[in-house]
Amino acid sequence: MNAAPVLVGYTAAVGFVAPRLLLCAGWPYRAPALAAAVWHALMVSFSIGVALAAYNLAMPAEHLHAGLVGLLHSCGMRVGPGEPDPGAAHRLAVALPAAIGIVLVSSFVFHVVRARRTRTRHREAVDLVGRHSAQLRATVLPYGIPAAYCLPGRHARVVISDAAVRELTSEQLNAVLEHEQGHIAGRHHLVLAAGEAFHSVFRLLPLARHARERMPLLLEMVADDRALRRHSSEALATAMYEMAAARTPKGAFAAGGHTVLIRLKRVLGPRKAPHPAFWGSVAAIAAAVPLLPLLVACPPGLS
Amino acid sequence: MRRLGDLEAEIMDRLWTWNRPATVREVVDDINKTRPIAYTTVMTVTNILYNKGWLLRGKQGRAWLYSPVRSREAYAAALMEDGLGESRDRPAALVHFVEKMSEEEVAALRKALRNVGRQAKS
Repeated sequence: MNAAPVLVGYTAAVGFVAPRLLLCAGWPYRAPALAAAVWHALMVSFSIGVALAAYNLAMPAEHLHAGLVGLLHSCGMRVGPGEPDPGAAHRLAVALPAAIGIVLVSSFVFHVVRARRTRTRHREAVDLVGRHSAQLRATVLPYGIPAAYCLPGRHARVVISDAAVRELTSEQLNAVLEHEQGHIAGRHHLVLAAGEAFHSVFRLLPLARHARERMPLLLEMVADDRALRRHSSEALATAMYEMAAARTPKGAFAAGGHTVLIRLKRVLGPRKAPHPAFWGSVAAIAAAVPLLPLLVACPPGLS
Repeated sequence: MRRLGDLEAEIMDRLWTWNRPATVREVVDDINKTRPIAYTTVMTVTNILYNKGWLLRGKQGRAWLYSPVRSREAYAAALMEDGLGESRDRPAALVHFVEKMSEEEVAALRKALRNVGRQAKS
């Protein structure tokens, strides 16, 4: 039996329906790391589903006219000379999923390498212009507005403006620095690069768009949670406010800025982690989802 | 061990602090106050900085006078804006603490903070 219809249906559900369900769910902000894992599991599952569907569509099944090559042939398109050649169909069936895999992996490598090149250039300049503070474990740049960011990667740097060092209390400052260390320790740049890679291959897919849009916010929340392990929510929230308010341009609207508000309310509100049983079942689903298309394509005991 | 980048930073630091064009000899003499360093090493690294576009140079008599292209503050501002994602090119390279917000959003933020303050007191 050819599993193509089931696979196509499953893949479509993962690519179009699942992101909508995830966007409506209430728990992702309470367990941002788990939510990020679920987004990635869906992306992996979709990629495997597409590859297997391509394989099953191209593979001639019961008779030669089934499958993609047979279909093209019966539609009057001549794929190769004469009757469809089972060898060609077979090669196509293997080449399609392989091509999908190669495109995805090279897209990821491209994004990682390009981002690293940008970071390296930036880091070299930061090292020349700024002063490294061993106490803060950060590089301080002379800049009149309290601000901070990090350059993740192998030679990671946390960069903070001297205005932030001057104007924030030490408790606030440490909360901000801990937040940035969270990005570095969690290797969030690789998580972002994976999302970017998936998006540049499946550009119009709702899953790709929503995952890319949602991922930065989830990662900020993961870093917030890390800062909150050692620092009070008041310190983190007020630091966040100081930094956001200082950089607000007069009369200008910035896109996506409302995420600070979401984070701030989350940090200040009652933070309740999801029930362990719920957490465990979502994690189990996230782990199983990438394997589902394989189960559909090659049901154990049937093949 | 000191790396090349450290010496680059030391040279730039002096030129920015002095705030006037200086010769390689002056830089070497100043570094020599704390540790010995060869003139040729400093000259090579200064030349690298010139080629990278960090320094300008002009001849005075037989010696080259070097000065930074831009002030430390100007570089820092450009880097900060780049790092905070305010420049046009925003790759996923830099993760910043907070994004820019509109005035309405700042007002909403302030309100959220005030509410929490009130809750904490009551």
